[in-house]
Amino acid sequence: MSDTGTAWQAIDSRPRQRRISWDTWHLLGVITPGVLWIVLFLVLPSILLMGIAFMTNGTYGLPQMPLSLDAFKQLAGYGFLGWSPGNLYTVIRSVWQTVLSTSLVILIAYPVAFYITTRPAHLRPLLLLLVVVPSWTNQVIRAVGWMNILAPGTPVSNLAAQLGLITPEMGLFPSKFAVVIGLVYNFLPFMVLPLYATFERLDYSQVEAARDLRAGPVRAFFHAVLPQTLPGLMAGTVLVSIPAFGMYVIPKLLGGGKSLMLGNLVARQFSSASNWPLGAAGALIMIVVTLIGLQILRRMSRRLGGDIEVVL
Amino acid sequence: MKNTGFYLSLRIFWYLVVIFLYLPLFVVVLFSFNEANTAARFTHFSLKWYGQLFSDDTVLGAFKNSLILAITSSAISTVMGTMLGYGMYTHRRRRLGWLVWLIYLPIVMPDIVYGISEMSFFTSIYNMLGILRPGLGTMIIAHVSFQIPFVALLVYSRLVGLDAKLFDACHDLYANGIQRARFFILPILQPAIIAGFFLAFTLSIDDFVISFFTSGPESTTLPIYIWSAIKKGITPEVNAIATVLIGAVLAVAMITMAFQYVRSASTTSRA
Repeated sequence: MSDTGTAWQAIDSRPRQRRISWDTWHLLGVITPGVLWIVLFLVLPSILLMGIAFMTNGTYGLPQMPLSLDAFKQLAGYGFLGWSPGNLYTVIRSVWQTVLSTSLVILIAYPVAFYITTRPAHLRPLLLLLVVVPSWTNQVIRAVGWMNILAPGTPVSNLAAQLGLITPEMGLFPSKFAVVIGLVYNFLPFMVLPLYATFERLDYSQVEAARDLRAGPVRAFFHAVLPQTLPGLMAGTVLVSIPAFGMYVIPKLLGGGKSLMLGNLVARQFSSASNWPLGAAGALIMIVVTLIGLQILRRMSRRLGGDIEVVL
Repeated sequence: MKNTGFYLSLRIFWYLVVIFLYLPLFVVVLFSFNEANTAARFTHFSLKWYGQLFSDDTVLGAFKNSLILAITSSAISTVMGTMLGYGMYTHRRRRLGWLVWLIYLPIVMPDIVYGISEMSFFTSIYNMLGILRPGLGTMIIAHVSFQIPFVALLVYSRLVGLDAKLFDACHDLYANGIQRARFFILPILQPAIIAGFFLAFTLSIDDFVISFFTSGPESTTLPIYIWSAIKKGITPEVNAIATVLIGAVLAVAMITMAFQYVRSASTTSRA
């Protein structure tokens, strides 16, 4: 599982060799079907979608000429009725909920990844598997699980009501709290795996050196441990925050209309609200964020020695 | 210096996280056997929701669609992904950075952007040319596009784990292209190809967002059925369908892991 990683390194950093014609044909022959499929059915549609973002919304919700920046203005809140903060709130809320859940994921995943490295070597793959298995089930089903747990009248909700956190008839779902729980639950494995990869190759002599120099545990952690795990932390942050930022299912199911995120705004423009350019503008933001994330991931993966694919 | 208090709290934290990870799935399975129509309290054990499930034509139709979609898309993506992974390996000395980008794009891109761009693409094509009507066909196309990278990476990692001398040996024995594929590459890749197929299968069964946006009126799959059913509230019947899906995915995932295990075992025994 882990040795895939060299893909990045091997492919990226080898010097260019003299081209042999037959060799080139062979390369084209084996990679063309897959590459063509992805280009035709993913890259091309996303480029077209980005184009739609610069068109004008027609009467029937379909994009029209002329080109304009209307969609982006609408995203910033400017509509027929002057400025209203609705769309902008959604964008800000997406950023906030992403930051909050990613931070929580880091706080949970860091000790978990470390704990796994302290276990005997033959147990570690099993423990990692234990963390990953829930993420193999369907997103909608996982949300249904949390709806079951957090609905009004369930033991967890009753407990929260008795503690005075909510009123008894409310239940913990639907709420912002439920959305954050759902996001953390969904993305925890994506942080544990790259972090585990860095912990596994942690150089403990640095920690010992720090202790010898009479650094306390806190200083030793910040100077000897944290910097070494930074690539894993960064890779995990990309793998968690980008999909979280575009999340559609969880806010819709667990948030109950009040905690919708950018993904829901985009989806609505392509269904009930019928404003393709506005939806495309929202999607364009996510595509740009994705590309930035990919670049970071690529850098980090090189520094990690390529254990990113553990995530798969 | 071993700080026992620290390690004890770490261990307790780990157990709490494991409970957190499995509680939602456990609750879904538990309440699918609940006789009462509520998630608030477990009354009696009952299989009646499963009986109801397997006599519901809509559910059975959705089940059939899910299977057709998963099997067809996995078969196509396994062939293409294997070729791509093999190409990435044999030509790894070239500057193929763009290919790495292309392969990671489907993995990192948020589902919603993926689904929306394919939806607007397929609808536009359909409006203009009258082909690619949204339905199982478009869903298969979309699924293949996100399955290919996973299969390719799996095959690539298998090849990287091999001893490069094996390729030289093949060359030394004057194996031609077809012989090499037939007697060396395909047999040695077999575990990775089978694991790739099953991985693609679980990815397809698990997907909701991309399926939802590329589907047509007659191509409801199980996750899409659950999605529309929970608008009316969580019923034990929904929990029962979810349990069937959880079971199916876990079974397939375990098979995949078994093949992975065979792979790593053969790698270590050689070393």
